[in-house]
Amino acid sequence: MAVAPPGPATSEAPGMMRAEPMPARTGLGGEMADIDVEGLVKRYRDVAAVDGLSFTVQRGEVFGMLGPNGAGKTTTLEIIEGLRTPDAGSVHVLGTDVLAHPQTVKERIGVQLQATALPQFTKVREAVELFAALYRKARPVAEVIDEFNLGEKADAYTDKLSGGQMQRLSIALALVNDPDLVFLDEPTTWLDPQARLNIWTVIEGIRQRRKTVVLTTHYMEEAERLCDRVAVIDRGRIVALDTPPRLIAEHASGTTIEFALVPGLDPETLRRLPGVDRVVADGRVSVTTRSPEAVLHVLLDPHAPWNVGGGVDGAAGGGGGGGGGGAIRDLLVRNGTLEDVFLSLTGRSLRE
Amino acid sequence: MSSFRAFRALAINEVRASVRNRTALIFTLGLAVLFMIIFGLLFGGSGVSVSFDAVNNDGTAQSAAYLRALSDISGVSVHTKSHAGAFSDLKDDSVTAVLVIPKGFGAAVEGQGPSQQVGIYQAGGGSAETAISDELVANVTAGFAGRGNPAVTLSAPRVAEVNQVTEMDYILPSMIAYIILFSGVNYVAIGLVEKRVTHVLRRFRATPVSSRTVLAAQVVGGALTVLLQILVLVLLGIWVFGARNYGNWLLLVPPIVLGTASFVGIGFLITSVSRTSESARALAAMVTFPLMFLSGLFFPISSLPTVVQTIARILPLAWASDALHQVMNDGAGFSAITTDCLVMAAWAVVTIAVASWRFRWD
Repeated sequence: MAVAPPGPATSEAPGMMRAEPMPARTGLGGEMADIDVEGLVKRYRDVAAVDGLSFTVQRGEVFGMLGPNGAGKTTTLEIIEGLRTPDAGSVHVLGTDVLAHPQTVKERIGVQLQATALPQFTKVREAVELFAALYRKARPVAEVIDEFNLGEKADAYTDKLSGGQMQRLSIALALVNDPDLVFLDEPTTWLDPQARLNIWTVIEGIRQRRKTVVLTTHYMEEAERLCDRVAVIDRGRIVALDTPPRLIAEHASGTTIEFALVPGLDPETLRRLPGVDRVVADGRVSVTTRSPEAVLHVLLDPHAPWNVGGGVDGAAGGGGGGGGGGAIRDLLVRNGTLEDVFLSLTGRSLRE
Repeated sequence: MSSFRAFRALAINEVRASVRNRTALIFTLGLAVLFMIIFGLLFGGSGVSVSFDAVNNDGTAQSAAYLRALSDISGVSVHTKSHAGAFSDLKDDSVTAVLVIPKGFGAAVEGQGPSQQVGIYQAGGGSAETAISDELVANVTAGFAGRGNPAVTLSAPRVAEVNQVTEMDYILPSMIAYIILFSGVNYVAIGLVEKRVTHVLRRFRATPVSSRTVLAAQVVGGALTVLLQILVLVLLGIWVFGARNYGNWLLLVPPIVLGTASFVGIGFLITSVSRTSESARALAAMVTFPLMFLSGLFFPISSLPTVVQTIARILPLAWASDALHQVMNDGAGFSAITTDCLVMAAWAVVTIAVASWRFRWD
């Protein structure tokens, strides 16, 4: 655990800089939302995979669906894409009823499926040409290949691509018809960190071209970095829907301070400090608090028994909190994350 | 029209992928060529042996002695047959020549009747065996004629009006049928299951293309692959293996197209009951291998037990095989293969209709 958010922990959460969420249902000009989902239900036998979902996605927005595996993200996405029929509810995409006119909608959206497979014995350029031919309007093949940096691999068979290249191709194919709205289902799952970062850049490029993007993920960093708004989904329901900073502010507002447990420090002392919400101690101590300064002041006090007694550790106090060489080790201060939001909303971890 | 553009792109991609798929090619075209090589080694050029069918219209002790004198020569065998039986053997290349002994042969030899002429018939072409057989028969006849008066003479060798069908001539249409069978099932049907299992169909479905277009492209792409393979096979068969076609090339088109369509249909039925590509392959093998042996590809259906014949005659491969053999070996016209074509068309229509009704994207 204890993955620090990118950048210094003391700065604002990255999403803070983003535009405020647009009002629900209608956009700024009063036009219809790109996606309008109302009371969606999909059952498999007795289990409701999607259990009454309603939400809207506005033009130009990057909308994230965050939840663990099996939460119903993919099913929801596939209903919106016209690949599955819901048991109840209505779906409008770009102003068209998907259930009534799926082909009309498919002409104007781009889809990247989870676990994309392409026809066998097909080269990259051929795959782009093939998908371009499936739409009434398509962008020039060479342009798409260049945009996604696939030029070097254009004559390679698709099954010889690396995971990251395959995913770039898969996203390229989703954009070959120049869609207004793009669906990306777990675009970075199974990718190594380098490739993941690369895909994030690709998605940011799509956002800059004013496309509406809907993506599912179970990586909180991904949702925090890319999404204007995030729907937290658990067991087929939306348990929260807002911008990442607001979700964090509302459901994981405290700062968490973590360190290795040292002799002479009773975690109970910390629990009594003002602003402390939660103290968990099992080898490592994790304190969630609304006033981190108070906790740090106590922890790093050079006269505190745990720091005086442990003077020998001096230089090793590294993990550090910049204090006067105390015995507190592996100190980590971090803001709340979407992971904490999910934990606090469902009592379970995203990775389960 | 945008759906035609989509269809064309999908079909081209299908043909291209099939041609690149070497493993599958080995099982279709590769095996067909291998069968032809094996047949060539088994039946081709293994020493000279001469065999005759004799049609004995005389039936006297003298004619029997004449035939015995011929069969006493080492390396020569003589069988007495009916007229029809003898010429059928000649057509199948199971005898070198047919001898026809005229009525009155015995009387002529005894000097009690007019002079008679023994007829000798060979298939066209001319080979080492036919030259040798001419000489043998001429010698024996001279022996009989040499008792003072030329009571019996031998006709000049006459070319019988039959298309002599060698093993290679027989195996070529069989291998065309084999390619139709295996490619129809493997390329089209198993290809479709694989696309379903690997979510390729699902990906197509996320585009505006219709299921009919995807299916049609799969069928047409598969059929073009079959035609390409047949073209290669026929060229190899004729130029390398010396097989002959006695019929009209264009008449091969209806049985090839309809045969392919009926096996594509059967393949589709297999895919609609298979969840994985492994089970589709297993089921396809269970259908194709028995069919191959039941349908006159390697030996005529008439040599099978009656019950098995009845089953074989229901399945489309027997009809495809029959039509191809009739055209290529017998030089038959369209009227002779009309029934074959109608039966295959019926198979194709019914199976493809059921398959498109049962079609699943995933």
